[in-house]
Amino acid sequence: MNYLAIIISGVLINNYIFSRFLGLCPFWGVSKQVETATGMSLAVVFVMTMASAVTWVLNRYLLEPFGLDYMQTIAFILVIATLVQFVEMVILKVSPVLYQALGIYLPLITTNCAVLGVALLNITENYNFLESIVNGAASAIGWSLAIVLFAGIRERLAFAPIAPSMRGFPIALVATGLMSIAFFGFQGLFRGILF
Amino acid sequence: MKKLWNTFSNGIINENPVLRLVIGMCAPLAVTTAVVNGFWMGIAVIFVLTASNALVSLLRKVVPAEIRIPIFIVVIATFTTVADLTLKAIQPEIHAKLGVFVPLIVVNCIILARAEAFASKNNLIQSVADGLGMALGFTLSLLILASIRELLGNGTWWGFNVLPASFEPAVVMILPPGAFVTLGYLLSGLNLITGKSGDN
Amino acid sequence: MANKDILSGEGKLLVSSSPHIRAQETVDWLMWQVVIALLPAVIVSIYFFGFRSFYLILLGTLAAVITEAAIEKAMGKDITIKDGSAVVTGLLLAFNLPATAPWWLVIIGSVFAIAVVKQTFGGLGYNFINPALTARAFLLAAWPQYVAGNFPLPLDTVTGATPLAVLKGTAAGTLPTYGDLFWGNVGGVLGETSAVALLAGGLYLIYLEVIDWRTPLSFICTVAAFTWVFGGSGGLFTGDPLFHVLAGGLILGAFFMATDYVTSPVTPLGRVVFGVGCGLITVLIRLWGDYPEGVSYSILLMNLLVPFIERWTAPRVYGMQPMQG
Repeated sequence: MNYLAIIISGVLINNYIFSRFLGLCPFWGVSKQVETATGMSLAVVFVMTMASAVTWVLNRYLLEPFGLDYMQTIAFILVIATLVQFVEMVILKVSPVLYQALGIYLPLITTNCAVLGVALLNITENYNFLESIVNGAASAIGWSLAIVLFAGIRERLAFAPIAPSMRGFPIALVATGLMSIAFFGFQGLFRGILF
Repeated sequence: MKKLWNTFSNGIINENPVLRLVIGMCAPLAVTTAVVNGFWMGIAVIFVLTASNALVSLLRKVVPAEIRIPIFIVVIATFTTVADLTLKAIQPEIHAKLGVFVPLIVVNCIILARAEAFASKNNLIQSVADGLGMALGFTLSLLILASIRELLGNGTWWGFNVLPASFEPAVVMILPPGAFVTLGYLLSGLNLITGKSGDN
Repeated sequence: MANKDILSGEGKLLVSSSPHIRAQETVDWLMWQVVIALLPAVIVSIYFFGFRSFYLILLGTLAAVITEAAIEKAMGKDITIKDGSAVVTGLLLAFNLPATAPWWLVIIGSVFAIAVVKQTFGGLGYNFINPALTARAFLLAAWPQYVAGNFPLPLDTVTGATPLAVLKGTAAGTLPTYGDLFWGNVGGVLGETSAVALLAGGLYLIYLEVIDWRTPLSFICTVAAFTWVFGGSGGLFTGDPLFHVLAGGLILGAFFMATDYVTSPVTPLGRVVFGVGCGLITVLIRLWGDYPEGVSYSILLMNLLVPFIERWTAPRVYGMQPMQG
């Protein structure tokens, strides 16, 4: 049941956008169309899950035994940057079609703070290997849910007579705020049962 | 001297990273639940951005172009770690509240952007002025946002009761919706003042 | 009847190429019918909760209308308060607050609904999420002590728990009879308690084809089915569906808020999907969430899915071209 709790928490209750404020740059940057938001989401799910696994192993078998915990930030960011490069190369080799779909999003992911964020949070939460992977995937799926929903709304906003001073970032911020109000409904879901 | 002043003030007003360029928004929204949190986040960013700009500027002639980005990231990550550990030592409670957002300074777009766009092309003094200006601009916007949120959401400023006892704080202002909506209208207000308008 | 155009999606309010001129009379007519349909609930609310109810409903409505007019004037737009939509928003917001709410809470809620949720996004037809319900959820997050908790009981000066809170065990009290739930002799927010008054208004709107029967029917049936299966303490299929349908804000939400033109799908199938989705989320929150009532959050969350419901249920011709942002 612990895994189910991690999934529901990551996707709905402690959503990375609406509650944790992680990964906001690409959230606003790549959400003008549903199609591109979906592409970015796939890339993020892929990278966040992989990064959770790799950084967990790195922390457990290299940093912790040698007392190098203070190197976490440096080590993790380098590993994530390398991982993204590596994933890009592998996808290009294995599936040019997938590369076409995801390629342009991958370089953007290195600076997506959700990736480093989940790696660091896995350690703070004391998750084991499998829990870290589940948390990485669930958090990424929650992020994806947010960006795809937002893209659907944003396509409609493009046609609205919005005041010039509100256009662009201001309206995106207010819309995100209203969405986060709706997500309050998931607060405390399954408390006492799963949590 | 005038050029130095322009470089310095650019980040505070014209290209304020949070209020004008709107980049690196995670920390500004996440930590501004209280003014004191925003202040210490600002101090950490002032240190990291100024120091990394200085070092990048010094290294600009020796770093090969092809591997400059990884080098910049290592430089920034090193200073971030220093800031993280220092803050943990001197302000453990604040450090705990800021949580993951102190180490995440390393992926804050502003810092890498300044290293790449400014410090790698300018001399030490100019780069320090740029870093300091940008970071002060960042801190200033955090203080503005945090002041609004803490006043309305908790009825206090820097923990002091400054509003009459009859004021009933709107807790939502220190929750995520308060952060998004407040910053949205703040940006819109600035657009009105400067006559600038965004696109959809 | 002219309003059939709107219902079939031909005069869909969201279409940006000037749907308003031709449909303006129709929009006015529709909105004022909704106001008429809400009147029985207003009267019952005043009967049970007293003058305070009248005062808060009037305050909410006035604040909404004044905010709408003030913003439109400030922005140099046509003033559209005669279309009745601000009246409906103000009424529904007051309906979602308890009689103990302070006066300023109602005003802040109405201003938030009209200024932030509706006018910021371009006014009538462009808000992506229900204004009254978003404002209600905003107030609940801002001042929970005034929006949730103990509500005044009807015809009485003491306060007590709502039927759903008692059922959930988060508050002490005795469960009301079906009769009390039907007539509205229970604790709750101003407009939700009387099933009979709300049903009368809802059926009136369905008869006039102002609202589509699909959304309320699918919403209510879903809640009934799932609370019957999962809502009982004695295992599966021991829940009390009738109680869950009559108690709380389900009837108010299903007939008057899940049917909002702007924030719900236009396609017939989409409306069923929307209603079922609202029902599922309502049950999820009522049975396993933090709040005793989930109707308002379920509608808000389904509002976010409307662009996708319309994509998947629309005829291929429209909604399929990717829009350039």
